[in-house]
Amino acid sequence: MTGKPRPDLNDAAAAPYWEAAARHELMLPRCDGCGLVFFPPREHCPGCWNGDLSWQPMSGGGKVWTFTEVHVAFYDDTWAEDVPYVVAVIELDEGPRLLANIVEPDMDRLSIGDRVEVVFEDRSEGVSLPMFRAIK
Amino acid sequence: MSVLDGIAIVGVAETAIGKLPGRSAISLQAEAGVAAVAAAGLAKDDIDGVFSFSGYSQAMMLHAARVAEHLGLRPELAVVTDVGGPGTHHAALLNVAAAIDAGMCTAALCTYGENGISIRRSGRGRAPGTLTGGEDFEAPYGQIAMISGYALFAQRHMHLHGTTSEQLGAVAVTSRYHASLNDNAHKREPITLADHQASPMISSPLRRLDCSLISDAGGAFVVTSVERARSLGVPYARVLGYGAATTHHVPSQAPDLHELGGPLAATRAFERSGMTAADVDAVYIHDACTFSVVAGVEALGLCGEGEGGPYAESGALALGSKCPVNLHGGMLSHGHAGGVFHLLDAVRQLQGTAGQRQVDGAEVVVAHGNGGVFSTFSTMVLGRGG
Repeated sequence: MTGKPRPDLNDAAAAPYWEAAARHELMLPRCDGCGLVFFPPREHCPGCWNGDLSWQPMSGGGKVWTFTEVHVAFYDDTWAEDVPYVVAVIELDEGPRLLANIVEPDMDRLSIGDRVEVVFEDRSEGVSLPMFRAIK
Repeated sequence: MSVLDGIAIVGVAETAIGKLPGRSAISLQAEAGVAAVAAAGLAKDDIDGVFSFSGYSQAMMLHAARVAEHLGLRPELAVVTDVGGPGTHHAALLNVAAAIDAGMCTAALCTYGENGISIRRSGRGRAPGTLTGGEDFEAPYGQIAMISGYALFAQRHMHLHGTTSEQLGAVAVTSRYHASLNDNAHKREPITLADHQASPMISSPLRRLDCSLISDAGGAFVVTSVERARSLGVPYARVLGYGAATTHHVPSQAPDLHELGGPLAATRAFERSGMTAADVDAVYIHDACTFSVVAGVEALGLCGEGEGGPYAESGALALGSKCPVNLHGGMLSHGHAGGVFHLLDAVRQLQGTAGQRQVDGAEVVVAHGNGGVFSTFSTMVLGRGG
C-alpha cells in the first residue's frame, strides 16, 4: 500500500491518457484544428481553443530538459524510501514537455540534453505512470 | 495618469519572526496590522478597507473578512489577492488604488503572514504540496515542494550559462550579512561560502543554505491617498510604476529561461515609471532560493542575461554597492511568511527608517519577483513621497 499522491483517473479530459498508460502506451491529445500536440490533457486546445481533439501515440523518445535530484522527503515520510530520486522535465520528440522521474539514473553522467525513452511504473490498482530512462 | 499615482504607503510593521508557538496566522497578521495603523499615524476608526491573503500554511476562504472580524472592523471592501509571491501584495496596492479612486475606501489595511513552523506542530496545517496545482501530473512523481521546482530552473541556468554553486552561495552569504544588520531577522549568525558549500543538498543543485526559511511572522502596511498622507505628516512611499507577467502555473509548463515573465514585468514597470535600472537605489527580490536573486538581477537589467551568477559573486548585492539587494536579509535570512517583508523594507528605505541598513538618500526602490515557480512575476517601482 502506497501513500503516494494518485492522479484522478476519472478526470474526463485526462482519462484516455491514464487508460493508455495502463496499457504502457504514451498518448497525448492533438488538436484537429491547428495540429498542436499538447500536455497536460484538457478539453480545449491551449493553442487555438478548438474543442475537437484526437489521441495520438507518442514515440516515447525525448530528451532531458532539466532535472533535480531530490534528497529530502518533504513534509512527511511518503517519499522517505525513495530519496534520493530524480525529478526531470522531459521534452518529448513531438514537442510537449512533461514532468517525470528518471529511473535508474547514473548521477555521474546524467545531463541536460540526454536522450531518454519512456518506461512505465505500475503503482497501486489501475495507476501506471510514464517514467523515463536514459538511453545508453 | 493612473489610479496608482494617487496612493501612498504610509505605515509598515512586522511582528517578531521565527518560531512563535501558539500563534495562528490570523493573529500574526492582526498584530502587524494594529502596529502598521499606529505607524501610519492613524487609528482603528480610520480604516475602512481590508486587503489580505491567508498565506498557504493556513489557507482559508474569505480571509480578508476574517481579518476584518478579528480586528472588529466593518469595511465596505474586504478583498483577497493571491497572485503568488510579491504579486499578491502588489495587486493589493492596485485594488486599494482603484477602491480609493472609486470612493469606496479612504484608508486600507493590508495584512499578510503565515505560521509555517507552528502550524505543522499543531497538526492542522495543510502541506503546501497539496496547493501547488500539480496534483495529477507532478505530485505523483514526488514534485511536491516549491524548492525542487526552483531547483529545476537553477540546474538549467547552470547548464546554459555556467552558473556555479559558489555564485549562488554568494547570494546566501550577502543575505545573511544584511540580516546581521537587522534586529528583527530570523537568522542573524553570519555564514561563509564554506558554510554554504558544506550545507546538505536538498534538491540539486540547491543546498540547505540556498533555500529560504520557513517562519512564523506577520507583516502589514497601510495605504491611503497622497493627499491624506501629506496631512498625516509621516514619511511615505509612492508607486512610480507597476508591471506584471504570467506565463504558466506548474514547472513543466514553463517557457525557457529567457521567456520567463521577469524581464517582461520589469520592463513594463520601468516604462510606466519613466525610470531605468540605473535610477534605482536598492532592490528587493523575492528570494525563495538563492537562484531567484540571480534570475532577478538579470530580469531587472542590473546585469546581462545569464550573467547573474558572476554579478552576485562580484559583491554587487551588498550594502555599499550601487544597487544593493534585499537589505533586510530576504527570505533566505530575515524570514519567509509569504514575502511581504520585501515591500515593507522597500518602503522603510524610502521613509529613511531602515536603520543600519539604510541607503542614504534612497529615492527609488524596486520590489520584484515571482510567485509559484517563476509562474507569475511582479515588479513595483516605488519612490520617496513628498
